[in-house]
Amino acid sequence: METMVIKVMQIILLPVLALIIGVFFLGLARKIMARIHWRYGPPLIQPVIDMIRLFYQNSVSHGRMFDLGIILSLAGSIVVVLFLPFGRICPLSSSGGLLVILYIMLLAPLGMALSGGQGANPNISIGISRKLILSLGYEVPLLLVLLSIMTHYKTISIIEVVNIQQSTGWSIISFPLFLSGLSYFLILPAILGLRPFDISSAPQEISSGPMVEYGGKYLALATIEHAFVLFISITLFVNLFLGGAANPAIFFVKMLVVFVLGLCINAVFPRFRIEQAIKYLWKWPTLLAFLSLILTLAIRS
Amino acid sequence: MDRNQITKWLKAPAKMANKYSLHVIYFCTGCGIIEIPPVITSRWDAERFGIIPVATPRQANLFLITGYVSVKTLRAIIRTYEQMLEPKYVIGFGSCPINGGMYWDSYNTIKHLDKYIPIDGWIAGCMPRPEAIFIAVTHLWTLIDKDMANAYIQYRENYEFYRSNQEMALGKLEWPPLYPIHSNVRAVENE
Repeated sequence: METMVIKVMQIILLPVLALIIGVFFLGLARKIMARIHWRYGPPLIQPVIDMIRLFYQNSVSHGRMFDLGIILSLAGSIVVVLFLPFGRICPLSSSGGLLVILYIMLLAPLGMALSGGQGANPNISIGISRKLILSLGYEVPLLLVLLSIMTHYKTISIIEVVNIQQSTGWSIISFPLFLSGLSYFLILPAILGLRPFDISSAPQEISSGPMVEYGGKYLALATIEHAFVLFISITLFVNLFLGGAANPAIFFVKMLVVFVLGLCINAVFPRFRIEQAIKYLWKWPTLLAFLSLILTLAIRS
Repeated sequence: MDRNQITKWLKAPAKMANKYSLHVIYFCTGCGIIEIPPVITSRWDAERFGIIPVATPRQANLFLITGYVSVKTLRAIIRTYEQMLEPKYVIGFGSCPINGGMYWDSYNTIKHLDKYIPIDGWIAGCMPRPEAIFIAVTHLWTLIDKDMANAYIQYRENYEFYRSNQEMALGKLEWPPLYPIHSNVRAVENE
């Protein structure tokens, strides 16, 4: 009974925590970008102010699927959050594994694509097709990275991966897996849609792509979804390569280090074209991940 | 954030959020485009006040029209304005949208922009300095505080007037009316 209550509490609390951390990261990203540009930058709570404004604004819907698609993608993100261990908080991670996360992670871009399809704006179609091509680009190295993790630890459960790392050391400093870690770090901006890979939401080229018809509440929900995606991909990195953490505070510090490092590297790069992005993603990260997988297989057998 | 602002936030969150989150869509038809980049980048850094440029009218709530407005661009301006979501504010930048400016006798420009869409405020000058945008924004904050930045409500209430003026300048409009038209108001004499 007691464990049941704790589990329900965790299921309710973890998405709220993820939302707060994700929105904090969005604000921090804008501040750090401003400092790199030698500007003062907005206050840290600027995304919250924007969201309050958007929720109070009138909004225009383009049909039933336009409403449901964004809710589907938001729900998919929240479910993924429940499967990821955050420190010792892991309500559902014992019942799923990396495979479940891989499947549910597809829901977020799918929901966006469905919602955009109803929008009937040509910029949305271009943005969605770019986003799907880009995800084709980063899914290959991501799958190879996850395969080498699963082969190395002989398990598909994240919680076990974390436990083994806490007894034997982080996998980013163990021999064949640091190549995988490097590969994941290189594709992290593509998963997040950060600067060199913000092809799908390029404001100057295609008027912010899939977001072009979102205004008011829809834009606020899309921002929340983006915050969840930030949280998910960084949490996955910390869990798989930095050994998770014994408590949420240390876990948060690790997430912060990964995020700020990635942001500083990627804030100074201009945007790729789509074929340049695919060329890059299928070259270095895929090569590193493949090498790591072969080495892992050779050592394990 | 200032400490005495917290009570204001609790009292009227929508108003305060509107003030400090102005997402701007720039309509740079003629001159004036060169004044915008210093404002949004490192020189004057408008993002301190939450002012950032956005790419689509759906996400914006401030419409900045810089430079002269030709008859051809008036069509795009009206369509952009009608796609923005309420509450929305409009600022005319430079003297040409106010009264024609140096194009006062041109056959191809619009002299008084506020006959066609409602304007919340003007920035006079040819050209104004980029700092003038900040002065205009602080004036707009005062107007929002006093509930006087209500041009979008005037547009809804006097839609017949604006629509007939638009039809007079552009001929037949190919898009349906934004609000229902009740009576047949005579348009002002064309320039």
